[in-house]
Amino acid sequence: MASADKPINTDVPEKDVFALHFLQSLSNLRRQNTFNSPEKTNDRVKKIKKAAYVSMARAAGGTSRLWSRALLRRAAKETNKVVRFSRRKKRVTWLRRRSNRRDPVEEEEKEAERLRNLVPGGGAMETSKLIEETAYYIKCLSMQVKVMQCLVDGLSPK
Amino acid sequence: MDLSVLERVKWLQQQQMVSPDFFEILGSDGREELKRVESYLGNNNDELQSFRHYETIDGCISRTSSFQIEQVKNNEENRVIALQHKRKTEGKTEKIENKKKKKIKTEDETESSMKGKSNMSNSETSSEIQKRDYIHVRARRGEATDRHSLAERARREKLSKKMKCLQDIVPGCNKVTGKAGMLDEIINYVQSLQQQVEFLSMKLSVLNPELEYHINELSTKQFQACFTDLPEAVSKQLMMVDASSFPLQHQESLDYSVINSIQTTTLGSKDQTSSGWEIHSQSLYNNLRTDSVSSFFSLE
Repeated sequence: MASADKPINTDVPEKDVFALHFLQSLSNLRRQNTFNSPEKTNDRVKKIKKAAYVSMARAAGGTSRLWSRALLRRAAKETNKVVRFSRRKKRVTWLRRRSNRRDPVEEEEKEAERLRNLVPGGGAMETSKLIEETAYYIKCLSMQVKVMQCLVDGLSPK
Repeated sequence: MDLSVLERVKWLQQQQMVSPDFFEILGSDGREELKRVESYLGNNNDELQSFRHYETIDGCISRTSSFQIEQVKNNEENRVIALQHKRKTEGKTEKIENKKKKKIKTEDETESSMKGKSNMSNSETSSEIQKRDYIHVRARRGEATDRHSLAERARREKLSKKMKCLQDIVPGCNKVTGKAGMLDEIINYVQSLQQQVEFLSMKLSVLNPELEYHINELSTKQFQACFTDLPEAVSKQLMMVDASSFPLQHQESLDYSVINSIQTTTLGSKDQTSSGWEIHSQSLYNNLRTDSVSSFFSLE
């Protein structure tokens, strides 16, 4: 996992950044009064999951990555918040989206299609950019998983 | 092409515009140079393979060369080097290889006196430059050389480089070769990571109440300080709590050591106000700061 990949720059911040963000989001969740009701565990799970993704997106660099941007936008939609992103490149992504929709003829594009569905914000990226974003996304996801795993391990009763 | 070269040489003979250099060089070392050219061209473009028919050219040359050969090798090298430099500067201004080839062709046709020799050295130097110049995409033998396919090939190579990087990141990708298998592996890995996140969040929601009070009251600043300043320091309180269950990695232990200590020390005092909490956690933080690594390790 060296950061010396020439084509792809995969410097992910340290684990404590992820941990910090996640704990922050958890504490925000705690402050909601309806959070600790014994019923509705499904809702709780969903909220925690969403908090995990959002905190991961923030920890990984906020709006500097396409997938993190898409994640944050998705989350903001649900809560009806107003989110502002720098829209300089919006036009380019719109064009890419148009050109991508016409392209599932090649075999490579068919497989990239599946990846696009998985990685948030993948629909607007060209294949090479998609691969970069996937690499970074995978690293961040694995960091987040480690943080959560440690939390669970620490808290589980012995 | 060989005919054209032959014609040119004959034309040169007839016109008697030949400079002494040309025949000096080709006099005795001509064959060697032609062989060298051939070795370059042997792996290269089809068009230039016509230069293999150097026997005919040899015949022409032997008929006409009657000069003394003085320091042929030096001259030859100088010429080659001069032409190389000329070619290099031209080559760097172009972006696609086929353009370069076309330019060389047209230049060959328009050069006047040194045509035979310059043709061969042109092809030689251009092939040398093609080998040295890494910016350009190399058109391989037998492949199309139009712009679109070259650009397509460049793009594909870029993609494959990036896929290789991905291969390093995703474990277990080395065994499968080919784009399809690798993409499948990557997709599976991403899906499994996302499922893990979901699973762990479910677990966390179950463990929720224990975490609640502590996270609520601790300020984030203190957490940050804990993470950044204390890679090695663990308090005695923490060791008392759950030392054996801590993973050996420092960061993780810090994470959960903080939470655990707070948990054990504050379970009995749920009624404290937030200000009281902060004072308590402040003292805890100070404790954390002052202790050393060795005590932690000795307990382990």
